[in-house]
Amino acid sequence: MKNNVFNILKKELRETIRDRKSLMMMFVIPFMVPLIVIGLSLYFETVGNPSIDEYNKIGIAYETTESEKAILKELEIKPIYDSYDNLKQKYENGDVNLYITKEENIYTLHGEYSDNTSNAEQLAMLYLEAYKAYLQSEYLNEYEINPLDIIEIISVKEDIVVKENPLIKVITQEAFLFVIMALTMAAVYAATDSIAGEKEKGTLETLLTFPVKAKDIILGKFLSISLSAFVSGIVSLILMLLALVFSDGAFDIYKDMNLVPSVATIIYSICIIAIYSFFVSGLCIAVASKTKTYKEAQSALTPISFIAMFPGLIATMATIETTHFLAMVPFLNVSLLYNDILLNQVDVLNLVLAFITSILLVMVVLAFIIKQYKSEKVLFSN
Amino acid sequence: MLEIKDVKKKFVRYTKNKKKEEFYADKGISLTAKEGSIIGVLGPNGAGKTTLLRMIGGILEPTSGSITIDNLTYDKNEIEIKKKIAYLSGNTKIYQSISGYELLKMCGDLYGVPKDEIENRIKAISKELELDSFLHNRIGNLSTGQTQRINIARCLVHEPKYYILDEATSGLDIISSQVILDFIKKEKEKGKVVLYSTHYMEEAENICDYVVMIHKGLVIKEGTPDNIKEATNTTNLRDAFFALIEEVEDEK
Repeated sequence: MKNNVFNILKKELRETIRDRKSLMMMFVIPFMVPLIVIGLSLYFETVGNPSIDEYNKIGIAYETTESEKAILKELEIKPIYDSYDNLKQKYENGDVNLYITKEENIYTLHGEYSDNTSNAEQLAMLYLEAYKAYLQSEYLNEYEINPLDIIEIISVKEDIVVKENPLIKVITQEAFLFVIMALTMAAVYAATDSIAGEKEKGTLETLLTFPVKAKDIILGKFLSISLSAFVSGIVSLILMLLALVFSDGAFDIYKDMNLVPSVATIIYSICIIAIYSFFVSGLCIAVASKTKTYKEAQSALTPISFIAMFPGLIATMATIETTHFLAMVPFLNVSLLYNDILLNQVDVLNLVLAFITSILLVMVVLAFIIKQYKSEKVLFSN
Repeated sequence: MLEIKDVKKKFVRYTKNKKKEEFYADKGISLTAKEGSIIGVLGPNGAGKTTLLRMIGGILEPTSGSITIDNLTYDKNEIEIKKKIAYLSGNTKIYQSISGYELLKMCGDLYGVPKDEIENRIKAISKELELDSFLHNRIGNLSTGQTQRINIARCLVHEPKYYILDEATSGLDIISSQVILDFIKKEKEKGKVVLYSTHYMEEAENICDYVVMIHKGLVIKEGTPDNIKEATNTTNLRDAFFALIEEVEDEK
């Protein structure tokens, strides 16, 4: 029996390796992963660290003192002096990023919410805070009071340890979601070809005339699909790591941060990929065995790729804590376990629970398919 | 010995009005095949030949009746029976991305042929069927005739006792057909049993020792080709078949 499972596995792998489309699915989609890492890094760098020239044009509808002018110069603000109506027009034309009006001692910042206005607002607040501190100091000096005694009457020190860097978390989570997606696509394609493709090509009838039990055929095909999915997942993971190493050195936003995962994280990630490969392959075989043609299988299996992404996205956006129960929920457990790895909160029991649940689910699914896999039903169910 | 007793096969189909309808492709067929014989299963398209051979090949399960091969039955000894037979039809598809050699090796492995024996058998088969020039080419790149020769070769690797050949020469040119017919004769000489279905009556007349004529799922006549011709007062199996159909229709 073991021999025949191995023989079927060998046959399936040989076909996969010699089929250009299968190879494409296994190795091309993983190349999306580094694009995601580098693309997101580029986005965060652009949004999180914009050039001051993009938001330092601030309209001022009042006369400024010499001290204010000095502060504006110090903060690299380019003031544009004009009336309120003209500044409003200039803001609408994009000539200023924000404009300020003053009535007695009330300053009002005008604008609509956008990245540049928001950055300009922070700059304007710095200017006004500095000017306020200057005026306060002047007033206190007039009464021969040391301004520091009042302004710094208490002092605050920060002792907050940053355990979780949100930037790194988002990038690695998103990249890992694409690792999962690439792996799912590989399983979907391999199952389509191996189960429905073999039916459509007519080779299944030949295979069923051989002295091989249905159990051996299904197990051989399952192992081959799992292996294709696992290889695709590992290729994606390697590309993700390479992209992280590259981004770590290439982008300023990662200065003083360690973007490259630890060896333990990589090992845990491989475990998750293995668990998920088994699970998704079993699921794909179950769905594909109910279809008769290649096209039918593709239509039935494609939603799995999307289903694989949703729980991951939810886990990324919402702060869901991994419980023993959630560790047993297919699809969701993969993203939750990966989150735990990133936070250094790995609970090995959760990993074991996810593994056992996946294996049990796959065993039930395979047992069901094997029972159904009689040549007559498989070949002539029409 | 291969024994088929009153085998029936029921299928379900849907009519134009999407109504479920049951029909029998085979309505109770019996035959016996002894060692060293070629049994021709003859009949027009839709007669029930393919269904019968698929049941003997273990691809379909009979609705009723029994199939016994060397005192073994499919319900208890499926794997043992499949090791004794080789099933080949004109529609049999084989893996396009592997070479003939790889296919033969895979078949040897699946049939449990000892590893050291597989190579010797492939060499012998390759010589016998003249496969050497294309044995290592991918099957997808071969001509129809070459592919069918590889198909025959894969049936030989495990040295089966029974050959079930369903329209094996269908769609082939004269030379490729002759290769198959020569192979059938050789296997008969070795004491093997060949069940050969065809709708080419002349072909059957030339090679079959015994003929079973099927029409609409029923055996309408069986015997040696000479006996059938004599009984129907005809000079060839084609005329004999038409005479028999007429007889059956008149009886109705």
